[in-house]
Amino acid sequence: MKNVNDELLQILACPQCKGPVELVEPQGIVCRACQLVYPIRDDIPVMLIDEAMPLDES
Amino acid sequence: MTREFKNRVRERFGRAADGYIRDAGFATGDDLNTMVELLQPSSDDNMLDVACGGGHTALRFAPLVRSVVASDLSMVMLKKAQEYVSEEGGVDNVIFREADAEDLPFPAGAFTLLTCRIAPHHFPDVPRALSEFHRVLRRGGRMALVDTLMPSDPEVAEWHQEMERLRDNTHIRAFTEEEWTEMVSAAGFIIHETVVVEKTHDFPAWASRGGMSRNDISELNKLFVEAPNKVQDYFQIETFAGEVETYTDQKLLIYASRPPKK
Repeated sequence: MKNVNDELLQILACPQCKGPVELVEPQGIVCRACQLVYPIRDDIPVMLIDEAMPLDES
Repeated sequence: MTREFKNRVRERFGRAADGYIRDAGFATGDDLNTMVELLQPSSDDNMLDVACGGGHTALRFAPLVRSVVASDLSMVMLKKAQEYVSEEGGVDNVIFREADAEDLPFPAGAFTLLTCRIAPHHFPDVPRALSEFHRVLRRGGRMALVDTLMPSDPEVAEWHQEMERLRDNTHIRAFTEEEWTEMVSAAGFIIHETVVVEKTHDFPAWASRGGMSRNDISELNKLFVEAPNKVQDYFQIETFAGEVETYTDQKLLIYASRPPKK
């Protein structure tokens, strides 16, 4: 995950609500407000609403 | 942006990615130089390049700014761009994000500089994208947009639209200079300068870049050869023995900024 460090997360937001996101390994980039996980493929965050998966908190 | 259209864009640019990376018209070009001259990038700038394609704009600006985020809707394109930027070398401040220009995944005011080069004609909703550009730019932030200019003569414009759609089913439409200035102003930007730059396309390379079949290229060639005189004149179509060699279109560059805090 060399591409997704803290500084870079600061300039990422949820494309749906524009709110903050956090990196949760191994799932991906999580928006708690929208309950969505954005996957990371080959170190590149896929920040597309259509590609996001529902957040499974269990 | 609908899922169906988005998939079409990804499919097309995935197929055509190599051609875009290698294309001389994208890698160089007067518009790229003019963008640098107008934006005057500095080492304080955090830049966003929307719809980065082959990464040419990102690579050109990277040595001049603090950081570049390059976004594109196509993962294949992003990977190729990443490869290209790392092969060309010399910069380590470019990062890549798969993103939709109409739903940008960045917080408000995250960037001081924004570029979007020869891409908006693929956007289903340009005003929405412009509103996103405005949101992610800090107050006072500068922006340069470049896109193919819609000819002002309706007959030439109609031919151009038909031609672009025949070549590329992800082409939505180009806009006239008046339409552009209206949309950019309506999104809340101050327009400082517009520049029209001519761009000559090597027809065989341009036609095959999008992954068209031989048959489709021959149809496209026919459309050019049989175009009315005023279209031939506008696009400076050059042919040899019935084959189109080059044509020239116009790109509009808009240099604008988000108004500073009052």
